[in-house]
Amino acid sequence: MSRQALDIFASELDATVLQAIDIGARSGVEKRLATLTQDYEDPDALRRLAGQLRQHSLDHLDEYLAGAERRLEENGAQVHFAATTARALEIVLDIVRASGTRVVTKSKSMASEELDLSRELASRGFEPLETDLGEFVVQLDDDHPSHIVKPIIHKTRHDVARSFERSGLGDYNDDPETITRRARSFMRDKFLAAGVTITGANFVSAESGRVVVVTNEGNARFGQAGADVHIVLAGIEKVIPRDRDLALLLSLLIRSATGQRITSYVELIGGPRHPAQPSGPREMHVIFMDANRSDIVGSDMAPILRCIRCGACMNSCPVYRESSGHAYRGVYPGPMGAVLGPLLADEGFGKLADLARASTLCGACHDVCPVDIPIPDLIARLRERSVREKVKHANQGVPPMSVYSLVARHPRLWRLVMSLGHLMERLPLARLPIAAGRAWLDHRTLPRWRGGRFRRWLRRSEKGRADD
Amino acid sequence: MMTAETTVPGMKVVPKRDPIQTDRVQLMMTCLCDAFFDDAARASVECLEEAGCRVVCPPEQTCCGQAAYTSGDWETFRHVVRHVTAVFADPAPIVVPSGSCAAAMFHEAPIAFEGDPDLPRVQRLANRTWELADFLVNGLGIRSWRGRLDARIAVHDACHTRGTPTGPAMRTLLDGIDGLERVEFPDEDVCCGFGGVFSVSHPHISSRMGRRKVANVLSATPDLVVSADMSCLMHQRGIAEREGCAYPVRHLSQVLRDSMVTGS
Amino acid sequence: MTNDREKVFSRLKASLDRLPARTPYPDFPADVATPADRREGGLSVFRQRLAETSTRLFEDIASLGRWLGERNVLSGYCDPSLAAILRPAIPPSIRLSTNFDRQRPDDYQFGITRASAGIVETGSLVLKDRDTSDRLGAVAPWIHVACLDPGNLYATLADALTDLGDDPAVILVSGHSQTADVEGIMIHGVHGPGEQACLFMQAEKKTENGP
Repeated sequence: MSRQALDIFASELDATVLQAIDIGARSGVEKRLATLTQDYEDPDALRRLAGQLRQHSLDHLDEYLAGAERRLEENGAQVHFAATTARALEIVLDIVRASGTRVVTKSKSMASEELDLSRELASRGFEPLETDLGEFVVQLDDDHPSHIVKPIIHKTRHDVARSFERSGLGDYNDDPETITRRARSFMRDKFLAAGVTITGANFVSAESGRVVVVTNEGNARFGQAGADVHIVLAGIEKVIPRDRDLALLLSLLIRSATGQRITSYVELIGGPRHPAQPSGPREMHVIFMDANRSDIVGSDMAPILRCIRCGACMNSCPVYRESSGHAYRGVYPGPMGAVLGPLLADEGFGKLADLARASTLCGACHDVCPVDIPIPDLIARLRERSVREKVKHANQGVPPMSVYSLVARHPRLWRLVMSLGHLMERLPLARLPIAAGRAWLDHRTLPRWRGGRFRRWLRRSEKGRADD
Repeated sequence: MMTAETTVPGMKVVPKRDPIQTDRVQLMMTCLCDAFFDDAARASVECLEEAGCRVVCPPEQTCCGQAAYTSGDWETFRHVVRHVTAVFADPAPIVVPSGSCAAAMFHEAPIAFEGDPDLPRVQRLANRTWELADFLVNGLGIRSWRGRLDARIAVHDACHTRGTPTGPAMRTLLDGIDGLERVEFPDEDVCCGFGGVFSVSHPHISSRMGRRKVANVLSATPDLVVSADMSCLMHQRGIAEREGCAYPVRHLSQVLRDSMVTGS
Repeated sequence: MTNDREKVFSRLKASLDRLPARTPYPDFPADVATPADRREGGLSVFRQRLAETSTRLFEDIASLGRWLGERNVLSGYCDPSLAAILRPAIPPSIRLSTNFDRQRPDDYQFGITRASAGIVETGSLVLKDRDTSDRLGAVAPWIHVACLDPGNLYATLADALTDLGDDPAVILVSGHSQTADVEGIMIHGVHGPGEQACLFMQAEKKTENGP
């Protein structure tokens, strides 16, 4: 019996990995809730407001994207557009080559993962450094992040200590403070050696053109103090209308992501460095990447583009917690990844369409989303699409509905099945070639069949309820 | 009769239901009660009658079609829902002992019928569909259920009722019963892993989530596990029994009915 | 590249033309997300908030000088326009450089640069590129001291964000650098400073773009 890939992955997952994720995710849930309820009487009202704001932004993206472009150019930045991830990569490579540098420092950017940017740079002889500590460890291990905010949520300190030891960063030491200090010492020289630094963008303001980058580690700041050239890679959906919107969006983003009120550093970058500033980029490039986003805009799936990458949904998702980020196979894991992944996949919808099956539609994600994305509804729509487009691997394990469809519309047939269903109990259901039956019975008992009894009771009772 | 109340915080939108203008109600029995849980359906009738309603139960009814919705087969879902609108065409309120079936009508059907000429009919059906606890408390205005039942109960909320009036209404009714003690348990608001079709498409994850839920519930040593939805309870009990643990489940309607009987 | 720009915008237009109605910009005050108990501005509240973000506060130059002495630091970077004022207060054994040598970043155990404003709500310091004598002096050393005229305070984050002006790099600094990437355990001092401090210095000259 062929099973869903994500379920298989989950069943083979190491217990220590599961435990690490569970702890990390739960801590995220608690911290988020604590800050939101402490600071706001009605956090849900703020989430709905932010959702409307982001939806408005998407519904007018043509206008706001043009506005951001104009302001950035006025401020001395160079703006590029990339219709695809391949094109975005070409643009990055052109800029890096033109700079003459070999070393490139990089801050955390999920958009850059869509291009597999670090690997692409490395394979062409450049030395890219992931400077965010979690992403640095991922790079050392030639691994992939398993959470969009906490890339090594699936690793323990022992894993990290071994990675550092393997990479020549010192003898085995799993003390988190020592690990962090080693990363600091190692990276300092790199920030200063790099001619180019690459960041993502949490937001881009159409009003001022400012690129907003939010960190706790200070890696993006150091990168932009050391390098001559700054490249910003941003999905087109990152554009927001006005600077004032940042007060609402940053307040919700940060509380939802880490439970803090504000991160250590919030950078609002308008353009290359001030003429009197001795350090920092003389050149700033902003690459607005489309990569299938423009098709989602204006469609019934558009709400997923409101996402501000806080990670709260995956923290709250019991399916994510049982399967880990890698189970989602793509760049984006968890609930938002189950929707965005299939829609953005370069190879087309079919590639990741099965992710939409990995959900009970419980709604925990919607309840924590700072921009009110109705994720379960979007997931249901993707399922409908995978049925309509007959995406085989996405539909396996899902019982076919043909018999049900017939019986549910023909009451006599239905009542007959109800009455005769008890005969099924004499059959070895667990051994019949009915996938759903085996899938159930492998882990659970079935209740006794009692079909027809309620209907008989209705008929027997005096008050003629059945045909009042 | 009271008018409808739908103000509940949370992200799900429950429609404003039509004001109740008759003591006649239609029972949607649910396919699960039809097949497995006849006593829960019977208790639902008895509770509604105790509350002063005349209950009719259209015999042509089958199922709400939710499994088709969550499977992605919206054509089948729409066919089944059209059957539902035909069977329950009577304007009297429809009461269903299941939060998920109710949500299928008021939340999921309008999505699947977008752009369909039957949408207005479906919407009108949704506007008079009530989950049982919601109907008793917010439809009929019952604020406390007189009765007695000495038991520790663990209350489980189906995820489809998240943000709807059902959870609070269920607790309002249970808290009125003498001798009933509601116990808390860890991770109350985390999904039990049933998810309808998910339970068979992702059996490993579904059963892991189910085992966690069962362990959490049992850690509070309840006498009964009570819900407004038999679907989740069926999954949880199935898992518990496979592990060799006792897991006595009751639908809300059975608790309400049993408390009446022992109380009188 | 022009090709891509046209592709992106024409696809966007085609997608948006599908919409029967576009969601309007919602009506809300800029400070809608300011917590009710964090709306108050003022210096005494700012002091509390700095403490909350673990930002060490020096009310005067003398106390900064004494503290640097106690820390046993050997040398640091200082904004040239501040050196003359600060030098006398700092123990003579501590070397003050007004130039940040990128070849020798670990020579500077502390960096002293200007902050342009403070934000009371979040206990933040606002650094601007034109007022920061060297970005490296502000980010590379373990200790960063931001000199702030305590008269330049915004009450809320919203106030600061709606008054960004035209400086190319506005940075809101709220305490020291930190990470919880390893097992969720919070460690301070990653790539940015491990200790963040603020020195109140009344304006000796007005900056062009104060709040």
